[in-house]
Amino acid sequence: MATETEPDQTESFKPYTLAKTLTPHKRAISAVKFSSDGRLLASSSADKTLRISVVKSSSDSPAPTVSLLQELEGHEQGVSDLAFSSDSKYLVSASDDKTLRLWDIETGSLIKTLSGHTNYAFCVNFNPQSNMIVSGSFDETVRIWDVKSAKCLKVLPAHSDPVTAVDFNRDGSLIVSSSYDGLCRIWDAATGHCMKTLIDDENPPVSYVKFSPNAKFLLVGTLDNTLRLWNYATGKFLKTYTGHVNSKYCLSSTFSVTNGKYIVSGSEDSCLYLWELQSRKIVQKLEGHTDTVISVSCHPTENMIASGALGNDKTVRIWTQEKD
Amino acid sequence: MNAPIIDPLQGDFPEVIEEYLEHGVMKCIAFNRRGTLLAAGCSDGNCVIWDFETRGIAKELRDKECNAAITSVCWSKYGHRILVSAADKSLTLWDVVSGERITRTILQQTPLQARLHPGSSTPSLCLACPLSSAPMIVDLTTGSTTVLPVSVPDAGNGLVPASRNKFSDGTPPFTPTAACFNKYGDLVYVGNSKGEILIIDYKTIQVHAMVPVTGGAVIKNIVFSRNGQYLLTNSNDRTLRIYENLLPLKDGRRALDDLEATHKELNGVEKLKAVGSKCLTLFRDFQDSVTKVHWKAPCFSGDGEWVVGGCASKGEHKIYIWDRAGHLVKILEGPKEALIDLAWHPVHPIVVSVSLTGLVYIWAKDYTENWSAFAPDFKELEENEEYVEREDEFDLVPETEKVKESDVNEDDEVDIVTLEKDSAFSDSDMSQDELCFLPAIPSPDVPEQQDKGVESSSKLVDSNHSGSPLSEEAGPNGRATNHASSPLEDDAGGSRMKRKRKPSEKILELQAEKVKKPLKPSGRLSKVKNKSVADLDNAEDNSNLYI
Repeated sequence: MATETEPDQTESFKPYTLAKTLTPHKRAISAVKFSSDGRLLASSSADKTLRISVVKSSSDSPAPTVSLLQELEGHEQGVSDLAFSSDSKYLVSASDDKTLRLWDIETGSLIKTLSGHTNYAFCVNFNPQSNMIVSGSFDETVRIWDVKSAKCLKVLPAHSDPVTAVDFNRDGSLIVSSSYDGLCRIWDAATGHCMKTLIDDENPPVSYVKFSPNAKFLLVGTLDNTLRLWNYATGKFLKTYTGHVNSKYCLSSTFSVTNGKYIVSGSEDSCLYLWELQSRKIVQKLEGHTDTVISVSCHPTENMIASGALGNDKTVRIWTQEKD
Repeated sequence: MNAPIIDPLQGDFPEVIEEYLEHGVMKCIAFNRRGTLLAAGCSDGNCVIWDFETRGIAKELRDKECNAAITSVCWSKYGHRILVSAADKSLTLWDVVSGERITRTILQQTPLQARLHPGSSTPSLCLACPLSSAPMIVDLTTGSTTVLPVSVPDAGNGLVPASRNKFSDGTPPFTPTAACFNKYGDLVYVGNSKGEILIIDYKTIQVHAMVPVTGGAVIKNIVFSRNGQYLLTNSNDRTLRIYENLLPLKDGRRALDDLEATHKELNGVEKLKAVGSKCLTLFRDFQDSVTKVHWKAPCFSGDGEWVVGGCASKGEHKIYIWDRAGHLVKILEGPKEALIDLAWHPVHPIVVSVSLTGLVYIWAKDYTENWSAFAPDFKELEENEEYVEREDEFDLVPETEKVKESDVNEDDEVDIVTLEKDSAFSDSDMSQDELCFLPAIPSPDVPEQQDKGVESSSKLVDSNHSGSPLSEEAGPNGRATNHASSPLEDDAGGSRMKRKRKPSEKILELQAEKVKKPLKPSGRLSKVKNKSVADLDNAEDNSNLYI
C-alpha cells in the first residue's frame, strides 16, 4: 500500500501489486515455492495435501495465468514444507506424520517415502545436484538422504531443540541448519561434520535460515522480530532488518534479486515486507492477507512474489511489479 | 566459497578404511575430474559409475558384445566420455549421460592401459599401451592406429618411419612400455624397457627428447601429477622416481622446438639427451629399502603434495604415502588381499584402492570431533592451562556485560550475488559444460511396502526382508540398482557401522573372510543381510545416543 520511494535511490522502486489470489487448500498453508525454472508453483498445507500449478506470465495482462497441474495426496498428517529438485521433475515434502515423501511431478504419483525421523519432519531441501535431500525435524536431528535409493545416508546430531530450517549452499558442499535452541550450525555435506556454529550474545530461537545466492552469507530469521544477514566465515552479522512481526511462527524469508536487491519476508501482522538489501529500509508493505503470512517465494527470473497465509486466510497470493 | 571455514584439505592424507563398495568384481577405477563420480571396470565387461557423494551406483555401462574383463577406465577431461579397454582387445568409448556406446575398436593386442586425449571435451584420440608391444595412438573414429617409437635409433636425426603394427625398431616382443599424455596432450611421455623416458610428438611420431633414468631398469608406470608439473615413474628396480617438468604447461611443443634450436650443433642421441635434460630433472626417488617391494599403481595426490604407491606383493594390501620431500608419512594396511589398483581423490584426502577380490576400499581421515565448531567460545587446549581471571570477573556488574554496542557498520555494502572462483580447479573453463553428477532418478517404492514402516528404520528393514525375493532376482551383484530394498539397506547398515566406529584389524579381517566365501548369489545376500540387521540395530542405538 504505502510506497516509500527514497529520493537518493538511482531508480525508483516499483511497487508490487496483487495479481492473483488462489484458494487451493482447505486449511492453513505452510509453504509456497517456485520451481528453479520458474514454471511451477507448489504449495503445501495442513490439510495433508500439496498442489502444483503451472504459472505463465502473459504479455497482455500483468496477472499471470495459473492452472492446476497436480494435487498430491498421501501424507497422513499436515505437511510443513516442500522443495523442488533442480530439474523440476521431483518434489519432496515433509510432514507431521514423520515422513518425507518424494513425488514425481509429471505423473503426480508418490515415488518414495523416506522414513526415519522420530518426530515431525519440519523442513526439507534438495541439494543443487539433486542427488541428496536434507531434512530437519522436531526430533532435533538433521538427516541426509540419498534420492536414488531413499536411504538415510547420515543422521546429524544437530541441535537440542526442534530444527526449524535446513538449506544447501550453491555447490552442495555445505548444509546450514537452524533451531529453536538459538543456534545456526554449518555442516560439511560430504562427511556430516560440524564446521561452524553461529552464536550471538542473546540467543532467540531461530525460525529460518537460508544461504544467499552466492552462498557467502546467511539470512537468519529469529523470533524476536528480526532478520539478520550473517557472514558465516567471520561469524558476524552484517545487516539487521526489522519492522515486521515474528515471534511465534517459523516464517520464511528470501532474497529478491530480479530487479534490484531486496529481502522479502512474511509477517504475523498479515503483511509482506520488502526491505532494500543495503540500506535496510522498508520499501514496501504488501497488505491483503487476513492471517500470518507464513511463506514467501520469489520467482527466479520474473518480478513475481508468491505468498501463503495461515488458517484464517488459506490463500496463496501472487504479487507482481508493474511492467513498463 | 566454503574455503574459509572448511579445514584446508590439501596437505592431509587418509588413515583408515571408511567404507567399501561392492558390485561384482571390480578391477580398475578412475575418478572424474572433480571426484564426484568414480568409474569402475568389472571382470564381466561392465563399467559401473558410482556417485561418490552418496556412495551409490549412478549408472551402469553394459555392453552385450564385451564379456571380457576390463583392464582400464579413463574419463575425458570434462567427464562426458569414458574409454574402457578390455581383455578381448577392444577399446570402447561411451557417452556417460546417455549410457550409449559411441565406438568400439578392436586392436591387435589387449591394451593394458588406455588414456583419452586430455585436451578436449570430446576426444577422438587415445593412447593405448598394449600388453607386449609399443604404445600406440588410436583414432577412435577411424580405428587407425599409429605406433609410437619406443627407442631411439643410433643413427639419423630421430625420425622413425611410421609403420602399422610392427615394431619399428625391432624391440623384442613382451617388453612392457608405459606411456602417458602430458597435461594438455600435446606431447606423449613414454617409458621404455631400457629405462629411458622419451618425449614424443605423436602427430609427427618424432622423438624430441630423451631422459635416461638412473639404473636403466624397465619402466612399468609413468604418470603426471594433476597440475602437470611432476612426473612419476615406477621402475623394475623397485624405485619410484619423481621428475620435475621444466617445460611450460600450455605450449610444451613449441618450447621443445626452441630447445632443439638451441642445440642445433648436436646430433642424434646426444641432441636428444641434451634437450631431455632441459625438460625433466630428477627430483626425488622412493624405495622401501627394508622390504624392497615392487610398487603398483603409483600416483600423486590431487594437489601433487603426496605420492602414494601400492605394494605389489600378493596377500598384502599395503599403501605407502610419501610427501614430496621424500619422507614416508604413512603405511596404510588393509585386509589380506592383494591390491590391484589405486587412485587418490582429486580434491579430498581420500584414497580408493581395489583389492583382488573385487572390492573397492575407501580410505579417509580418521575424524576427531572438532568441539570448537559446536560452540565458538570453546577453545581446545592441548594441556592444562592456568586460568587467569579478568579484573572485573567477580564484579556485581562487570564492565563487559553492560550494553555492548555493535561494532558492525551496518551501512557497508554487501554483495550477495557474485560468485568466487574455485581455486582447486585452476583451469576451469566456465564455457565448457562439465559433467559433475548424473541425474539421480529415484527408483519407485514397491506399492505394498508403502503402508508399512512409517516409524523407525529398523521396521523398514523387516518389511524389506519380506520383499527379499525381489532383490535376489537382481542377479549376482550385491547392490542392485532397481530394487531399493535389502541389498542397499545392508550396505547402509554396513557403511553406517563403519562410519561410526573405527574398524579394528579384527573386524576388517572378518569382513575380508566373509567376502571370500563362495560367491553364490543367494548365499552371500542372506549372509550379508543377517549381519546388517544387527548392525542396523547398533546403528540405531548409536544414533539415539545423540538425541
